[in-house]
Amino acid sequence: MAEAVVMPKLGNTVESAVILGWHVAVGAEVSAGDLLCEIETDKATLEIESTASGILLAQLCAVGDEVPVLSAIALVGSVGSQGESIAEFTAETPSQPTASAMGRNEALEDFEHVEKNIVKISPRARNLAQRNGINYENIDGSGPRGRIIERDIEAALRELPAKVTPVAQAMLDSGDFKLAEGHPGDRRVSKADLTPVERERAAKAIPLAGLRKTIARRLRESLTTTAQLTLNATADARALQAYRRRLKTSEAGLGLAAVSINDLLLFAVARTLPEFPALNSLFEHETIVQLDSVHLGLAVDSERGLMAPVLRNAESLSLKQISAEARRLAEACRAGSIQPDELSGGSFTVSNLGALGIESFTPILNPPQVGLLGVGSINLKPVQQDGEVAFVPHIGLSLTINHQVIDGAPAARFLQKLGANLAQIDLLVAT
Amino acid sequence: MPKSLTIDPAEARQPALIRAPELPVNAYISDPAAEAERYTRAQLVDVYHDMLLIREFETALDNFKKQGAYRGIEYNHAGPAHLSIGQEAAAVGQCLALEAQDFILGSHRSHGEILAKGLAAIRQLDEAQLLEIMERYSGGAALRVVEALDAYSDARALAQAWLVYGTYAEIFARETGFNKGMGGSMHTFLPPFGIMPNNAIVGGSADIALGMALFKRVNRAPGIVIANIGDSSVASGPVWEAMNFAAMDQYHTLWDAELGGAPPILFNFMNNFYGMGGQPQGETLGFGMLARVGLAINAAAMHSERVDGYNPLAVADATRRKKALLLAGAGPAMLDVITYRYSGHSPSDASSYRGRDEVDLWRAQDSISGFGDTLCAEGHADSSALEDIKACTVDLIERVLRAAVDLDASPRLPLNVSGDAIAAMMFSNERAEALDERQPEVLQAKEDSRLQITSGKHRFGLDEAGRPLPKLKTLTYAEAIFEAMIHRFYEDPTMIAFGEENRDWGGAFGAYRGLTEALPYHRLFNTPISEAAIVGVAVGYALAGGRAAPELMYCDFMGRAGDEIFNQMAKWQAMSANVLRMPLVLRVSVGMKYGAQHSQDWSSIVAHIPGLKVYFPATPYDAKGMLNLALRGTDPVVFFESQRLYSQPETLFAGGVPTDYYEVEEGEPYVHRAGSDISIITIGATLYRALEAADRLEREHGLSAEVIDARFLNPLNYAPLAASARKTGKVLLASDASERGSFLHTMASNISQLAFDYLDGPVAVLGSRNWITPPAELDEHFFPGADGMIDIIHQRLLPLPGYRPRSEQGAGAISQRARAGV
Repeated sequence: MAEAVVMPKLGNTVESAVILGWHVAVGAEVSAGDLLCEIETDKATLEIESTASGILLAQLCAVGDEVPVLSAIALVGSVGSQGESIAEFTAETPSQPTASAMGRNEALEDFEHVEKNIVKISPRARNLAQRNGINYENIDGSGPRGRIIERDIEAALRELPAKVTPVAQAMLDSGDFKLAEGHPGDRRVSKADLTPVERERAAKAIPLAGLRKTIARRLRESLTTTAQLTLNATADARALQAYRRRLKTSEAGLGLAAVSINDLLLFAVARTLPEFPALNSLFEHETIVQLDSVHLGLAVDSERGLMAPVLRNAESLSLKQISAEARRLAEACRAGSIQPDELSGGSFTVSNLGALGIESFTPILNPPQVGLLGVGSINLKPVQQDGEVAFVPHIGLSLTINHQVIDGAPAARFLQKLGANLAQIDLLVAT
Repeated sequence: MPKSLTIDPAEARQPALIRAPELPVNAYISDPAAEAERYTRAQLVDVYHDMLLIREFETALDNFKKQGAYRGIEYNHAGPAHLSIGQEAAAVGQCLALEAQDFILGSHRSHGEILAKGLAAIRQLDEAQLLEIMERYSGGAALRVVEALDAYSDARALAQAWLVYGTYAEIFARETGFNKGMGGSMHTFLPPFGIMPNNAIVGGSADIALGMALFKRVNRAPGIVIANIGDSSVASGPVWEAMNFAAMDQYHTLWDAELGGAPPILFNFMNNFYGMGGQPQGETLGFGMLARVGLAINAAAMHSERVDGYNPLAVADATRRKKALLLAGAGPAMLDVITYRYSGHSPSDASSYRGRDEVDLWRAQDSISGFGDTLCAEGHADSSALEDIKACTVDLIERVLRAAVDLDASPRLPLNVSGDAIAAMMFSNERAEALDERQPEVLQAKEDSRLQITSGKHRFGLDEAGRPLPKLKTLTYAEAIFEAMIHRFYEDPTMIAFGEENRDWGGAFGAYRGLTEALPYHRLFNTPISEAAIVGVAVGYALAGGRAAPELMYCDFMGRAGDEIFNQMAKWQAMSANVLRMPLVLRVSVGMKYGAQHSQDWSSIVAHIPGLKVYFPATPYDAKGMLNLALRGTDPVVFFESQRLYSQPETLFAGGVPTDYYEVEEGEPYVHRAGSDISIITIGATLYRALEAADRLEREHGLSAEVIDARFLNPLNYAPLAASARKTGKVLLASDASERGSFLHTMASNISQLAFDYLDGPVAVLGSRNWITPPAELDEHFFPGADGMIDIIHQRLLPLPGYRPRSEQGAGAISQRARAGV
């Protein structure tokens, strides 16, 4: 009868060690306490003593092998016990349902010997474990030949609900993170234990259709048929913010509480544009048509895609009217009830990404319109005042023009005037 | 056996002698005066020209193979070249008696026959026809090249260059070849000139040619068909089968007399005295003279005779006489045309099996120089005229060859650019309701047929409470097959069906009961027990433009038709570069309870062969819908049925089997039972055992199993299979095919690739054991049953608490059984 020498457990965090070299050859005599081999953990190099006496019958691991703790590394016994013993120590767990009933054979044992140093887990179970931050290495598999299968991870999940911090759980639930390799299962999983999941490429192929197809075509046409130039500027936003605060806190009966920064922007653009007819015009068939009224397109983000309903004759609407009409149009877009004629006939468009934290961007024109104002977020900007630097809130303005028909200077002048109007929006409303 | 023919013991037991006709040997006697009367001078000179052209054509190939150059043109021809130098008179003489509408089919050594038939057809067709053929064939690809080479005196001269060029380009694997290079030296053909597929399998053309002759007879098309095959092929089974099939009594005793008798086929043995290196006469066979074999086939001895193939006019005379017999319906005919090849079997042949002196003896009697001498002696030409012919021929060959070897003028199929070019040729994927416009010939109105009975039956096998309805009053799987067959018979006038016991008996399993009353003999008939010929004839029939539905009584008999299924049925659409279609549905029945040679499911073997579609319906609904699909297509389908199922009513498709026409979508598996814990995917009759296993898994183990019938092996849409695998993570595949090499392993591999990250265990395969099929009483130990399925689930995928398996299905069994080879 042979005895196994196992890889000792070398502290709480060590799960495996690498064999550096054997000190006893197979066939040599060894006594309990003799130096058997040298190993290395991630922390130290150690010498392993034999725990049995007799002839070294087998070295179960080669130099360089990484061996889990508590698994057999060598067999010590008397000559003649070798064959049965290797089988015994490399055999399957007794829970194997049919092995004993059906008898064993050499081929089967060869198979399992190869497998004994790896954690056997199905891809499905591994994915489930990683998604949930479960360390599966110490889970007993209930699948064929000890394989960890989905139901084992599900069982582990039921048992270990509180071992993940809420933040880590949220990250895991997002599907974007998984537990990093080598996390010991007995420690609470925190954010630091997670690594990002490498995403499968091209998870879903969506053929272009409907509005998306139209948007794709129109934007491509826009870029290929016009010469687009974007000018960036900022405007003092103190008046905007102050006026907005006043509106927000105004009496409910006035119906002004819902007026947004964007409504004020629209109002300012509608009142500024008439002075710059070159920007409020359409360019098609080699002809520029300057419009008498401002038909203001309003970029709306809907589930179906980007839409631009039109505020007609915006230059003649009051701030309250603009606010109400802008809200009605945006809601109609989102509800899908917008009418086709409400989506056409614009002369200039405003697109606001400020609420999403965008400071400036390069909007794409909506031909035949020749100008489109992108509105950015409000940020503090150092401004020199009376010899001192003060931080003044400024709103980002990105104006794209069709440079074919509008030169840079007139466009810059429009931006300048718009900025001035915004800086005194309260007065502009009064005009 | 039809009841109209009585076998009278008094007659059968009567003593008598079999008397056989005497067979002529080299009976043609040259009579210059008669020949001068029968042929014009131009015809006689053309014979010389054509023989010379063939000789030069082959010589150039020989030079390329052996010296890498011909008249200064360097070229390394990588492919085969089985040359017919020495055999020219046999080919040219034959074609002197043929018209363009007559078909010839050849062998691996058929360059000479292709050229001879083509040159003859060029003289027979008018110039407008020639121009149209050249313009339309392959979009004029070869014509464009040839036009640029020379200024031609007329369309015939252009057509000659086109013929030579297209053949060379095909041999050299060029896209401008007659079959885009997909046929090559051994398979070139050109249907507009009656040059049908040449076959690289020895004797392969015999049954295919018969199929084309059958097509001509059944569809009343003009002309005869000649199988040009080698002397050694007479000993191959399919040739023997074809000759017997061609000589069936029923053409005269049972078929409509006005149809015209037996199929017009001439088995023309090009007897060059060698089967590769073996010598049939004197060594490897015992017939003495090949012509004698005709005596075995029928009382007319196939009108067999030996002909001197070194005299082109003797061959023309014999061919003309046989053709007259064939057109009168008195076929089949057989010729033993002796000839000799000076060149080896192939360039690698060192002719170790024959002496130089033997070759010299034949060279001394060379047919070309001999015929040239005769022309001069009889005043048909003088030596300078013959010199001119020689010079023109060499000039043509050289000019055409320069273009044919040039990769710019004659490019190869651009597989590096369009890797799917051949994939696109594998199937034609067409819908063809009928392959001809005439009215189908039938014996009764469709509504008077057995459809009356079948359409009145219950179309679903269970009543509202789920209890089985009486089987005799419910439509069965076999009757669903019948309904699909009769539908197409009444739609497509070209459709024919044949096999063993197909008429009267209605097929061994009764699927055709009722068709005998509905169809004339020539559309449904019994064949000899000749599986190779059954399939080979169908291949020829389909290639000629008709729809054939042959039947093999047992799947196990496919071995007898191996070449016809694997090399002929599967290959010709792509080898023809889609010039030809293969509307052929081969019905094959998987047996049961009939022991080791009658109970095997060989669908996996068929699915392995590129070029075949493989269907295997498991329910009456699918049987009808899938056979409808197969019978309206233009591709070769091996249609597997199971004898376990013939009496099965529809119990799975809730609406039952529609009485109207419908089709199942090709390649689509069907989910018969949705589930979430495990997927069981089956092929064929195993479906019902999987459903039983699913019931037990639910009842006894609380597991929800999804059961999917693949229905198709090829083509097959894996998307629903992979979706199921991704859902359940555990997949068991089962079929009655033996496990080793089963198509299930292909499915398992593909599903693993498509769903790996979702799998909770390796895809498990449960086939029949790798044994002989045991007697019926021991079936359960061999075929997969519900027990085996649950055992394998327990041992490989999901151990079931408390379950005690009855069989060893663990992973260890895989290595153990593989090691033992069982």
